[in-house]
Amino acid sequence: MSRIKIVNLLIICTFLFLGLSIVNLQIIQGKKFKTLSDKNCIRIMSQEGCRGKIFDREGLPIVDNELSYDLMLLPQDKREFDKVLLAVSKVLGTTQKDLKDTLKKSFVASSLPVAIAKNIDLKKAIALEELKSDFPNIIIQPRPIRHYPYGSLASHVIGYLSEIDHWRLTKLQDYGYNTKDIVGFGGIEEKYDYYLRQDEGGLLFEVDHRGKFIRVLGFRAPHNGKNMQLTLSLKAQKIVEQGLADKKGAVILMDPYSGEIIAMASFPNFNPSVFTGKLTPSITNLFNNPDAPLINRAINGTYPAGSIFKLIVATAGLETGKINSSTTFLCRGSIFVGKQEFACWDTHNYQDITAAIAHSCNVFFYKSGLLLGAQTIHDFSLRFNLSKPIPFELPYEASGFVPSPLWKKIYKFKNWFDGDTVNFSIGQGDLLVTPLQMARVVAVFANSGYLVTPYLVKGLDQRDISNHQRKIVNLHLKPRTLNYIAQGLRNAVLDPKGTGHVLSGLSISVAGKTGTAQVSHGQPHSWFTGFFPYKNPKYVICVFLENGGPGYYACVVAKQIIEQMANEGLI
Amino acid sequence: MKDLFRNSYFIILLISLLIASIGILSIYSSTYQKEGKFWQEISRRQILWVFIGVLVFIIFSNLNYRWLWDCTYFLYTMALFFLFLVFMLGQVRLGAQRWFKIGWFNFQPSEFVKLIILIFLSRYFSKKSTDDISLLCAKFGILRAIILPFLFIIVPMGFIIEQPDLGSGMMIFFLFICLLYFTGVRLRYIFVFLSASFLAMPLLWHFLRDYQRERLLVFLNPNIDPLGAGYTVIQSKIAIGSGSLLGRGWLSGTQSQLHFLPESHTDFIFATFAEQWGLAGSIILLALYYLLIRQGILIARKTSDCFGRLLAFGISFLLAIQIFINIAMNLGLAPVVGLPLPLMSYGGSSTLATFIALGILVSIDKRRAVF
Repeated sequence: MSRIKIVNLLIICTFLFLGLSIVNLQIIQGKKFKTLSDKNCIRIMSQEGCRGKIFDREGLPIVDNELSYDLMLLPQDKREFDKVLLAVSKVLGTTQKDLKDTLKKSFVASSLPVAIAKNIDLKKAIALEELKSDFPNIIIQPRPIRHYPYGSLASHVIGYLSEIDHWRLTKLQDYGYNTKDIVGFGGIEEKYDYYLRQDEGGLLFEVDHRGKFIRVLGFRAPHNGKNMQLTLSLKAQKIVEQGLADKKGAVILMDPYSGEIIAMASFPNFNPSVFTGKLTPSITNLFNNPDAPLINRAINGTYPAGSIFKLIVATAGLETGKINSSTTFLCRGSIFVGKQEFACWDTHNYQDITAAIAHSCNVFFYKSGLLLGAQTIHDFSLRFNLSKPIPFELPYEASGFVPSPLWKKIYKFKNWFDGDTVNFSIGQGDLLVTPLQMARVVAVFANSGYLVTPYLVKGLDQRDISNHQRKIVNLHLKPRTLNYIAQGLRNAVLDPKGTGHVLSGLSISVAGKTGTAQVSHGQPHSWFTGFFPYKNPKYVICVFLENGGPGYYACVVAKQIIEQMANEGLI
Repeated sequence: MKDLFRNSYFIILLISLLIASIGILSIYSSTYQKEGKFWQEISRRQILWVFIGVLVFIIFSNLNYRWLWDCTYFLYTMALFFLFLVFMLGQVRLGAQRWFKIGWFNFQPSEFVKLIILIFLSRYFSKKSTDDISLLCAKFGILRAIILPFLFIIVPMGFIIEQPDLGSGMMIFFLFICLLYFTGVRLRYIFVFLSASFLAMPLLWHFLRDYQRERLLVFLNPNIDPLGAGYTVIQSKIAIGSGSLLGRGWLSGTQSQLHFLPESHTDFIFATFAEQWGLAGSIILLALYYLLIRQGILIARKTSDCFGRLLAFGISFLLAIQIFINIAMNLGLAPVVGLPLPLMSYGGSSTLATFIALGILVSIDKRRAVF
C-alpha cells in the first residue's frame, strides 16, 4: 500500500513544517516579537477619507465636509490616566469624571486609541497638541465631518448622519459595516450610503517606549466617498422653504416631462448638524416632538386627497365616455343619496366638465361618481399608480391607499353604499395619498398624458445617470380628455369664481386645482397642485398644508413661491 | 500496564483528554480578565462540553460502526436539512449565520457535516461487486469515480460556503481529494480533477464575498490591511513569537489577555497557548496531536474492512487538516478562514464532533477482528 505510506510521510512532513515554523517565530525571530510585545510598540492611526459631497443641479454644494479634531488617548499606561485627564479637562473645560466615563465606555484594546472628546475646535486642538510633550499618549486626530452650509435646508431630502444602530448593523455587516460606523439616516444619506461612504484607511507603525515614531509597519490608503449631484435647485429650494415658512406641510416642485424633483420641502424640518455630536437634548426633542420633524411629509405622510382627486374622477368619466364635453349637471347646493344629503360648497347651477373643475363643484362629481361606480374610479386611481410606492429614491416611502367595494367587504365586513361612492368621488373617505403622488398625477395633464417617475439623483461621481433614472409611462389617455381637464385647471385660475383665482394676478400663467380635505380632527388639509407656465409647462407644483385650512391658503403659498421664482428668473 | 498502552481506546482517550485540558487552561487564561458573566463562564462551559464529549466518545466507541453504513443516507439527509435550516434562518435575519440556537447551545451543523460527508464517501467508495471481493472503485470510470460523488458533496459544500464558512467548505474539498487518493481511484483521474478545479478557481473568485476575498488578499500580504483582517495575523504572530523558548508562563501572556488578540479563545487559541508555554509547550502539543493522528492511521492500516479502513483514514485526515490549517493560520502561513483547533478551541459543536469522530475510530479498532 504505497499510497498510505506516502500520506503518512506527508503528515509527518506537515508536522515538521509546523514545528520548524514555530521555531522560526519563537526562537529565530523571538527577540523582535518579544520587544514588540513587551512595549506594545504597535500604534494604529486611522485616517478617514471624506464622505461624498452632495451638489445641486448647478453643481453648488448642498452638503460638504469640514475638518474637525478628535482627542484620542492610548489607554496603555493606566497609572498616568488621572494626570492626563486632569490636564485635558483643564483645556476642554469639562470635568475629569466625564472624560473617564467616555474612556471606559469606548475602550476596545490597549493598542487602539480611544476617542475621549470629539469635534474640538482648532484653538483647543493646538493647546492639546502642546500637552503632547508631557503625555505622549495623547493623539490629536483630524477628521472630516459633515458641514451643512445652509443649515436645515432640504434636510428631509438629505437626511442626517449618526452612529449605526443595531438593526442596520445586522443588515449591513456583510457589506463591510462595523459597529460605531457613521451611516446615513433618512434621505439621500441613507439611500445612497453605500456610494457616499468613505473607506477608512490607516497606518500601523512602531514606536519606542516614549511614543516616538520608529517605522511604518503597514499602510492602507483611505478612499473618499463618491460625490452625488441632485436634481434639486438650491435657488428654488430656498424659495420654496421661504414660501412654506413655518407652516406644517410640504411643497414639491417637479419637472413635468422628466420627473426631476426641483425642490422638495417639508416642515417642520430639522438641522442635520445637531446629529454630528453626542446625543444631546436637541436630538431627543426631535424624536419626541409630536409634530414629527423627522417625517418628510412629501413622501412619508399619507393624507386624504380632497378635491384634487376630482381630476382622476374626471379622467375616468371622459375616458369611459360616461360623461363628455356637453354633459352638464345642475348644482343646487346639495344632492340627496338615499336619505342622506351631500352638500356642495356653493350653488353652481349648470356645470359642464371644465367649469366643474374650475369651480370644484362637488355635485357634478357626486353625479359623475355615481355614474362611474366606485370600482371604475378605483381602477383609474391604480392607473395613476396610487395606493403603492412610486418607488421614489428616498427611504420609507408611504404607499397611500385607495378603497374599493371588495376591500370594504373583506376587511371591514360592510357593504359599499352609494354614499361611499359619493364621498370617494370627491377624494374623501378612506382614500389616502402622499403629496408626491399628487404632483405626479397633475404632471400627467401638464405633459399631455405621461406618468413620470420622480427622481432626485442626477449624477453619481461625475457620471450623468439621468437616462438611467428616467422612467416615463404613456397612460394612453385621449387627447380630448387631457384638453378638457387642462382647460378646467386653467379656468380655475382665470375664472373670477374659480377656486384658484388668487393666482391670476401673476405674470406667469398658472393652471391648477385646489383641495380642501376634511379631517376628523381640527382644520381641513389645504392642497394646491398645478403647473406653470400654462403653455409649455416648466414646473409642476404641489403645495400641501397639514390642517392648513381651506385650499385658498395653499394657493397663497403657491403664489408667493411662483412670484419669487419669476423674480429670480427661474421660469 | 504494557497492554494498557497498546489499547487504542485508552491511548486515544488519554491524549484527547490531555489536549482538551490544555485547551481549557488556555481558554481560562484568555478570558479570566474580561468582564461580564459570559466571559467568566466560558471555561466552565468548555469543561462541561469536554465532559459531554467523553460520554459521547464512550457511547460511540461501544457502538458497532457498521451501523453507520446503514444510516448513511439518513445522516446525509439530516445534514442537508440542518444546513438548509441555517441557510433559511440566515435569509430571514438578513445576515451571515453559521449556527442556530437550541436552548442555550449554538448548534453549528457544519462541524458535524464534515463527519457525515466522510461517512458518506467511505460508504460510496467501499462498495464491492457481488461476485468479486475487490473494490469496485478501482474499476470506476471518471464519471462514477469522481463526478458522481462530487455532485453529492457539492450541495452541502455550497451551503457551507454560502453561510459563509469558507474554511469548512474547503476542508470538505480537501477531504474528498484525500479519500479519492486512499480509495485506489486511478491517479490519472485525480490529476484531471485537480487541474479542472484549479482552472475553475478564477470563476469561484466571483462567488466569494468581499470580505472573503479581502482575507485571501491579506493572507498574501498582511500589511495591506493593518486595521482589519491583517491585524489579527500580526497580533497572533507577535503573541506566538514573544513566547520564546519557555513561554511567559500561565496567566501571564500579555498579548492574549490584554485584548490585543481577537478570538483568542476560539480560532487563535494556539497563539494564546504558545505565548504562555513557549516553544517547549508548542512542540509537546504538536507531538500530542501527531500521536493522536498516528493512532488513527495505525488503526486504519490494521483494518481489513474497506468501509472501516476508509473511515479511519478519513477521520485521521480530517483531524490532521484542521490542525494544520488552524496552526498555520495562527502562524500567518494560511489565510484566516475561521476553522477551530480540534479539542482546544472553545465551542460545543466542534468539541462534540471531534469526540464522536474519535469514538468511531475506537469502535473500528475494537471490531476489526469481526470482519
